[in-house]
Amino acid sequence: MDAILAFLTVFTRPDLFALVALGTFAGVYVGAIPGLSVTMAVSILISFTFSWDVLPAIALMIGIYMGGVYGGSRTAILLNIPGAPSAIATALDGYPMARRGQAGEAIGITTVMSFIGGFVGIAVLAVAAPFVSDFALSFQPRDYMLLAVLGLLLVGSLAGESLVKGIFCGALGLMLGSVGMDPLTFTERFTFDLPLLQSGISFIAVMIGLFGVSEALSQLHDIDKAAVRQTIARIVPSWSTVRKHLPLSMQTSTLGVIIGALPGTGGDIAALMAYDHAKRVTRNPERPFGDGAIEGLVAPETANNAAVGGAFIPMMTLGIPGDAVTAIMIGALFIHGLNPGPMLMVEQPDMFWFIVGALVLANFCMLLFGLTGIKLFVKIVEMPRTVLVPLIMLLSIVGAYAVNNSITDVYWMLGFGVFGYFLKLYGYPLGPIILGVILSRLLDDNWRRAILSERGSLGDFFIGMVTSPLSLVLFLSVIFIFISQTPPWKRWRQRREALRAKSDPARPAAAKTSEEKI
Amino acid sequence: MKFHSLFAAALAAGVAFAASPSLAQDYPTKEIQGIIQWGAGGSTDTVMRAVTPKAEEVLGQSIVLQNVTGGVGAIALNKVASGKADGYTLLMGAENPLLYKVMGLGTKDYSDFVPIAILARGTPILVARPDAPFDTYEEMMAYIKDHPDEVKFGSTGPGGLPSVVSSMIADAEGGLPVTFIPYDGDGPALTALQSKAIDVMPAVLGAAIEAVKAGKMKPLAVVTNDKVDQLPDVEPISKANEKFSKYLPWGPFFGVFVPKGTPEDAISKLEDAYKQAGEQDSFKQLMDNRGYTLMNISGKEAEDFMTKWQSSTTWLLQDAGMTKKSPEEFDIPKPE
Repeated sequence: MDAILAFLTVFTRPDLFALVALGTFAGVYVGAIPGLSVTMAVSILISFTFSWDVLPAIALMIGIYMGGVYGGSRTAILLNIPGAPSAIATALDGYPMARRGQAGEAIGITTVMSFIGGFVGIAVLAVAAPFVSDFALSFQPRDYMLLAVLGLLLVGSLAGESLVKGIFCGALGLMLGSVGMDPLTFTERFTFDLPLLQSGISFIAVMIGLFGVSEALSQLHDIDKAAVRQTIARIVPSWSTVRKHLPLSMQTSTLGVIIGALPGTGGDIAALMAYDHAKRVTRNPERPFGDGAIEGLVAPETANNAAVGGAFIPMMTLGIPGDAVTAIMIGALFIHGLNPGPMLMVEQPDMFWFIVGALVLANFCMLLFGLTGIKLFVKIVEMPRTVLVPLIMLLSIVGAYAVNNSITDVYWMLGFGVFGYFLKLYGYPLGPIILGVILSRLLDDNWRRAILSERGSLGDFFIGMVTSPLSLVLFLSVIFIFISQTPPWKRWRQRREALRAKSDPARPAAAKTSEEKI
Repeated sequence: MKFHSLFAAALAAGVAFAASPSLAQDYPTKEIQGIIQWGAGGSTDTVMRAVTPKAEEVLGQSIVLQNVTGGVGAIALNKVASGKADGYTLLMGAENPLLYKVMGLGTKDYSDFVPIAILARGTPILVARPDAPFDTYEEMMAYIKDHPDEVKFGSTGPGGLPSVVSSMIADAEGGLPVTFIPYDGDGPALTALQSKAIDVMPAVLGAAIEAVKAGKMKPLAVVTNDKVDQLPDVEPISKANEKFSKYLPWGPFFGVFVPKGTPEDAISKLEDAYKQAGEQDSFKQLMDNRGYTLMNISGKEAEDFMTKWQSSTTWLLQDAGMTKKSPEEFDIPKPE
């Protein structure tokens, strides 16, 4: 009974209701502008809400968090600049849709799927938090390393026409991610004694450059062509569309919750892994992946919003942050006199249910704000390129500067923009570079921790890999995914599909297009 | 810049609005920047964001806080040190810069700054995973002697709290044959402790206290001369071995600094503002909950504190062979 009352607090108190709504609205726009991050906004709110009561402060932060994670998709779809790292995978198919005049449809499906993903995340938080946090804590450094290896295999999905070029770009990304002072030993790597390189290359600057600026430069080729007319007949996806993608969205939401609950991995990795999953399980996409497949939007957007609920799981049950934003919220709870830790749920279950309630409300607000104003936003893509290209450049520069208030980051961003343009021109995929940068720390740090834990013995390391059930499952997944990308396996699959098509003439011959793309 | 500061200013405007503008006569006439050395959500960040709103009220100006991370905080320190010494840029940091020189992380440290306030000091504690095969510090040492290199200690890189505490133990006990597993902060390392990836972690009391109370971690000893109020059942480490008392009390600290050469007027106003902010009950309560010892000192007292801290810590690390350069090179006196 108390739990229900605490859950409903946010709906019954008008001030809290308004703060969640306001936060979500602001979050959508904070999230949409590259460089303005939810982390930044929430940390500013700590000082701002210092003298408030704890409930309004948390309500506002939750709104911003939920809205912000969704907001990143907006610019990813319209301009090919992911507003946040977790929207990278969204750009891969969202932007091609916008270029074909389906920006409204893309935003619509993204919004609905974010809502579904967010809801799954909250539901898991509400009913299974202790269970999931125990599972998340069972991940050892070796398992994190295997997860990173699993992530690296995504290069296969992101590579496009040439796997060799994809692997090259993935390796380049890994190297870029290791530049700077190694945070474990404080040894400098690839810095050439330049103070400039000491703190590493800003990952956000690389992302904005590779996606935004290189796109702006490519658009210069067609500067005279008329902009694509956008059809905005259908914004809210039909029930049949939603139902068709429901199985996939449930799978990717689950993936999102778990990756979100792991301390040390968040929405960005969740979204990319979900994208890869979608590509593997979807037999017949209406359009090939990378060319505007709806599944390519469904997967990352459900996963990154499900990761929000996931991130709260270790925070609420153990006082361990699931990501950067929940880390700040733990600080906020401290400041307001609560002691977030394993006892919080025991001593103050009301707080838990209040947060669940606020998340539910924020999720509804996100749906509402996401579906309104789409017509206006879509106009951005209809602007003449002479206006659009400078706009992308402006947004990219502002975004790169805002991350660390550093002009150096702007130079990096521009440099990577030009570099990315040439890569694109010669058919090198840009996705794997970002993937490499995201995964390099996870892979590098955890490999070192894992091997140090075994005191440098490679034999013990492999014995551990096959004796721990979790490691074994991850290890087998790595092997299976690897084999499933090899030519003999694909030939076997094609033969099997051909046989099946013969025996069942109604069924069209397999999803060849997507298979061959890999 | 525009977006970030506009955004921050818009939010901070509410705070500035509440303050009375009549207090501002000479300094401060414009908004002040606060550069935090560590990332959002860390302990330095939390402390600074908690104490600053009151200081803003006293000064009658907004202080826009910004996290500048990287290089163990050296990036932020160098940024403030190379800026104007006009009192409009504050450095908000922890103890690490006092080790930069010997660790080869930079040529500047707090000796290029004037301390406005050293707010609080943390207490280190030694915690183990709940099913570790030892319950006290003595049992742990005995176990380590019988099983060399088997026990996994968490660390946060050279110069971090775990490395200093481990050096103390190695020095007092004549060696500490364990395997160190590096993490990029005590938060991730304590998470690893709970997932049994490591066995023992020297951490700051405030970061571990909630998990200790809930039985998710086992306290072995507090690294102090006397018992602490927050965990009255835990023995101090110097009770197990008297040799520890020569290093203690030791702990990480948080402070606010301005570059040398800042006008006296600005320094005294800032000192006053942070003194008042540090004395608020809500801040004291927060520090107490997190297991920090309130200090709230400034001027000569703060400088003396840091001189002593630097001398004892750098020489300890030097003797443990963890430094890149000897403290002697920087005229850091050896403690008696």
